[in-house]
Amino acid sequence: MAERDYARRHLRFGWWSLLFFTMLGLMLESLHGFKVPAYLDASNETRRLMWTLAHAHGTLLSIVHVIFGLCVRVAPEMSARNRPLISWCLIGASLLLPGGFFLGGVVFYGGDPGVAVLLVPVGAASMMIAVFFIARMAASTGHDSASHGEGTRPRKDGARGSAGKR
Amino acid sequence: MMRGLTCASLLLFSTALGWSIISAREPRIPEAQVTYRPIQIQEGGYVSSDTCKACHPAQYEAWHGSFHRTMTQLPTTDTVRADFDGVRVTDVPGNPIDLELRENEFWAEFGDPDWKSSGAGERPRIRRQIVMLTGSHYQQVYWYRTDRTRVVGQLPATYLINERRWIPRDSALLHPPVEKPGSETGRWNAICVNCHATDGKRRFDAPADVETVGASSMTADTKVGEFGIACEACHGPAAEHARQNRNPMRRYWQYLTGKADRSAIVQPAQLNPVRSSQVCGQCHGVWEFFDQEAERKANSIGLQYRPGDELRDTRVVVQPTKNQDSPTVRAILDAYPGYLNDSFWSDGMIRVSGREYNGLIDSPCFRNATDEKHTLTCFSCHTMHKTPDDPRPIAEWADTHQVAPGMDSNGACLQCHAAIGTNVPAHTKHQPASTGSSCYNCHMPYTTYGLLRALRSHQISSPTVAASIETGRPNACNSCHLDKTLAWTSDYLERWYATPKVRLSDDEQTVAASLLSLLKGDAGQRAVAAWSMGWAPAQRVSGTGWMGVPLAMLLNDPYDAVRLIAHRSLRSLPGFDGFQSDFLAPSSERIGDTVRALDNWRRTLQPGDRRTDPALLLDAAGSPRMDAIIRLGLQRNDRPVVLRE
Repeated sequence: MAERDYARRHLRFGWWSLLFFTMLGLMLESLHGFKVPAYLDASNETRRLMWTLAHAHGTLLSIVHVIFGLCVRVAPEMSARNRPLISWCLIGASLLLPGGFFLGGVVFYGGDPGVAVLLVPVGAASMMIAVFFIARMAASTGHDSASHGEGTRPRKDGARGSAGKR
Repeated sequence: MMRGLTCASLLLFSTALGWSIISAREPRIPEAQVTYRPIQIQEGGYVSSDTCKACHPAQYEAWHGSFHRTMTQLPTTDTVRADFDGVRVTDVPGNPIDLELRENEFWAEFGDPDWKSSGAGERPRIRRQIVMLTGSHYQQVYWYRTDRTRVVGQLPATYLINERRWIPRDSALLHPPVEKPGSETGRWNAICVNCHATDGKRRFDAPADVETVGASSMTADTKVGEFGIACEACHGPAAEHARQNRNPMRRYWQYLTGKADRSAIVQPAQLNPVRSSQVCGQCHGVWEFFDQEAERKANSIGLQYRPGDELRDTRVVVQPTKNQDSPTVRAILDAYPGYLNDSFWSDGMIRVSGREYNGLIDSPCFRNATDEKHTLTCFSCHTMHKTPDDPRPIAEWADTHQVAPGMDSNGACLQCHAAIGTNVPAHTKHQPASTGSSCYNCHMPYTTYGLLRALRSHQISSPTVAASIETGRPNACNSCHLDKTLAWTSDYLERWYATPKVRLSDDEQTVAASLLSLLKGDAGQRAVAAWSMGWAPAQRVSGTGWMGVPLAMLLNDPYDAVRLIAHRSLRSLPGFDGFQSDFLAPSSERIGDTVRALDNWRRTLQPGDRRTDPALLLDAAGSPRMDAIIRLGLQRNDRPVVLRE
């Protein structure tokens, strides 16, 4: 899969996912607005917490996807080596983290979420793997660009960069 | 330039953050450092409801909405029901009481209840901060700091929540009129602490056998696990249970296998009927310490009963039918001969509210039960946590005495007596949907007294005229058929249930039983009879056109509580909606109220409501037969009555 396909995949996933979790947020606000006992009663505090976490994690991960898609587009070298792994890990995290929280609030045990919450640590691990590889490559890419990239791009005044100055 | 802007922004942000944190924090003294009232400190394995909430939010929510939680509270603008904002309360001891709300603190200025008159001078006025309150359903009582260690005093006025009115503290209880009310300083520390808090410890410095309430020299280091009746009052100390269940693997194993956790916690509903009822009985029963040594021990380390234990191992449950001659009860009777009469009818049935356990254990459904499944317990009808199938809001469930869904009807009794359910009228001899076909109305009539009202007896019984004559307690039939005589009831009970007839006096044969209670009875009987005349089912069955006369008479009763109840019932009658009468007014004014009430009755009585029954002490023209009323009134039982609710 070409880098532009990855970029398109994550931009598309990110924006649709953002739409989905925005709608989830709207739904949660509606539950507040109509004072729905199944969401607001003190006995359903666990559900409220789980669904709020699902909304928050889903929304933030959507933005991560958009950022990752843009990064792939503007700095393709940043994730070149492990791009398939990173991509699948991010998508997995986006499904498992909010999904685990949401399902954990559908059926729950008093103050404990339902067993579906076990998806959350898997999603969190997936997210950490993706972030680790992105961070590692971002570091090396920064180093590369300092030594190789800078000075090669023309400045507005037509002169070369600092490397050229030297 | 950029660096300067960044530094300035960071500085501004830090300042704003710091300011927000400081302003958000209430200046609150840690509980352990509070020196002027009883404090909440968890000891001996108690952890408080805050810990329970993390795993049991639904149970916590139901309890939080119950009146158990609010038995004792700290004063806040949310918990205090009376208006303290610049209010002056008159007509009460300590007159006037000036109330003040100052920066979320509640203050009162009043005559010092602890002042001992030496013959000269006036009662000095004191200004005290309210630091605790008890009650939240019908009444609220406020406790102020005395600054004698943790001893708190009681404001000499009680606030009636529904009426939004202050009344003298002594008027809220049924006892003979008092000229000068005594001090109640220390009562919370000595008495209320047992059942208005969880894991209470009095910790008086004085020996327990000294009368501590009102003693000016007493000091106390009173501590409780938690104010109010909280989770651990019924489930026992929960520290070990909480510790074990911090392990999520253990919890999820229980969820997935459906195995309930029985470790280190008591589930009262799953105890055997005797022990489960004792959990409620620890507070809802009349009990005493075995002796002074036991009381001294409790003074220092608190009550030793824990849910699941045998209650009688650590205290004497007073039960006149069983242990009237026990050394403990005999010793109390020697010191205070009226002790049993103040809590029980003469046949041993409990007559005061809040002691339902005594009624239960003397009920045939408990006493004669042959197996656990068919034994009456508190949980047969009540639930301490609103169940998921209960559609009522928590407030409504709490307001209706935490009765379980479906248990506010015949369904409660039909759990065991299913055969009667197939043909209810054959048993009740009343229309199926009528109040006369309610199991509760016949077998749990309103014969106990408390909180300025009558409440259902929790001793299951069948109505008999013999018991009414022997004890003075109204029978279920005449509690609804207020216009009927005991002879009338006796006839029906013999015809329907073959209940043997008893010999009746002339008055018992010819005068309505309710009027005999109301005119000749003791103060407790008069209060219950007056309340019954305001009970809607009785009004529908008996008619209201005649009730104005007897209730008008009670407006001048010697007992404050009786007058207050009579006035409430009077106002529920047609034509009396706005009728004003001050039950605290001097006797001379109260006579005027009686005359006005009688006049109002004559003016507003509709022709269709006019009664001429001789049993109602009315003549052929419907006018009161004052000679008969006075004659019976002169026979009034003026035994001093102190109902220890």
